[in-house]
Amino acid sequence: MSNWIPLWLHKLGSPPTFYRFAGTLQPWAMTLALLLGAIALYGGLVLAPADYQQGDAYRIIFIHVPSAEMSMFIYAVMGVAAFIALVWRIKLAEVVAMESAPIGAAFTFITLITGSLWGKPMWGTWWTWDARLTSELVLLFLYLGVIGLYHAFEDRRQGARAAAFLAIIGIINVPIVHFSVNWWNTLHQGSTINVFGQSKMSWDMLWPLLTMMLATKFYYAASLFRRVRTDLLALEGGKDWVRKIAEDEAKS
Amino acid sequence: MSTVQTFLAVSGDAAAFFRMGGYAIYVWPAYALFFIVLIADTIAPRLRRRRVLRELRARLSRQQARQDRAGGNSTPLSP
Amino acid sequence: MNRAGLLAACTAMLRRDLTLAWRRRGDIAMPVLYALIVTMLFPFALGPEDTLLQRIAGGVVLVTVLLAMLLALDAMFSSDIEDGSLEQLVMAPQPLALMLGMKILAHWITTALPLIVIAPLMAAMLHLPGAVIPVLLLALLLATPLLSLLGAVLVALTAGTRRSGMLLALMLLPLCVPAVIFAAGAVAAAQQGLPWLAPISWLAAALVLAVVLAPLACAAALRIALDA
Repeated sequence: MSNWIPLWLHKLGSPPTFYRFAGTLQPWAMTLALLLGAIALYGGLVLAPADYQQGDAYRIIFIHVPSAEMSMFIYAVMGVAAFIALVWRIKLAEVVAMESAPIGAAFTFITLITGSLWGKPMWGTWWTWDARLTSELVLLFLYLGVIGLYHAFEDRRQGARAAAFLAIIGIINVPIVHFSVNWWNTLHQGSTINVFGQSKMSWDMLWPLLTMMLATKFYYAASLFRRVRTDLLALEGGKDWVRKIAEDEAKS
Repeated sequence: MSTVQTFLAVSGDAAAFFRMGGYAIYVWPAYALFFIVLIADTIAPRLRRRRVLRELRARLSRQQARQDRAGGNSTPLSP
Repeated sequence: MNRAGLLAACTAMLRRDLTLAWRRRGDIAMPVLYALIVTMLFPFALGPEDTLLQRIAGGVVLVTVLLAMLLALDAMFSSDIEDGSLEQLVMAPQPLALMLGMKILAHWITTALPLIVIAPLMAAMLHLPGAVIPVLLLALLLATPLLSLLGAVLVALTAGTRRSGMLLALMLLPLCVPAVIFAAGAVAAAQQGLPWLAPISWLAAALVLAVVLAPLACAAALRIALDA
């Protein structure tokens, strides 16, 4: 009775099955991402009223906050996949962890730059050494470290396992950095800026934000599926199922 | 408020929309960056996939050629 | 494996590493020289103003020591990987984590300890008040082993790769941020006449945790990096 779930998972974990599975879901995920993204952009840029304090500058929130959320969400996914890869040595988990890293780094980069572009008109500065911002910067370095370590090895799987180990160390590190920077800020009684005020968002502003968060989730799924498929082809180059795909694509 | 803005946007007051209440130089670069980075993230794996498959096909055809040559020079041991 | 045998293995490991380091004394002097040069450059860049130098002295000394340690970190296992003795160590009956702990200790003695010894000199060059120097030394005594331990895990992870210098710095940066914050925070607090025991306690707690966990993580990382 309870055996069919592991069996099903085991089958999904095999590269050719996952390749087909991801290939079926990928266009749907991308379509949903584009659709929801378009709705969210219309709602956020056109329908939502200007903020009574921040004017129209607050509209950066509709990409900044979803990106910030994705940067952490993807790190969590990467950490879980890295853990599975190290404990059970599943090839698919290694691929998922390593292909999540560039997407996560992209979202972290977007978060930092859009935050900067939002901070300049609102607080009058591009950057402040606040715990939230510093943690995000450290997160970017963690992503870059994982990507760099992965590519430093000649053997792809060995590199993936080493980088997975680093990703897990990073998961422990992020809360420590957040705590220590908070402590540091109280020591240096500098210009404390309230990054997010206590003001409650109105529904007109909230629904585009939530829709955009959903859209970025689907985007991540689509991008991850596309990357994992490519990586599986590269990793399983000698196998029959990959050979068949290569020959089929040459014909069409 | 919202309905007024909707009306303005729909009735084609595009200039006000692009002005973003004076914050255009912050808002639009942020959105541009968002899309540029994500489009790059979408295109990169596609290019890589094409390269991987091209290399794979090249390797396969080399293997095929080698097998053909070997088959032409010596009589095969098994049918 | 009995306790006496384990102890003998530990001392043998430590003695071997220290002997090897002593035979290449020039390598020990390099980080010290580097730290002195960097410290010397700051007054030239910022001007000889006492108050300004005093304000940045603690942070400059800490960051300089960190960079000097990073310079030497790359070499922690490199010669052992080249001659294959690290692989022997992985297969030895003694627990790998313990042996690596000894190697880390030897590395700390040869690179960090000389830096701590010259730290008062570096601090004096930047006019750090004499009363603060004991706190600086205490912070260094707690922060440098922490950095050695964290660095060792990362060095073990890059063991299977060729060039790893810049990568090591990239990987170490996020990990060393808390250590730098608390060590520099203790010195800054002491300088302002504030209680400095809290950050020192945090550093000590982190060090205790790292002493227990880092050798184990280092052993696991080395196993990943060495066998395909």
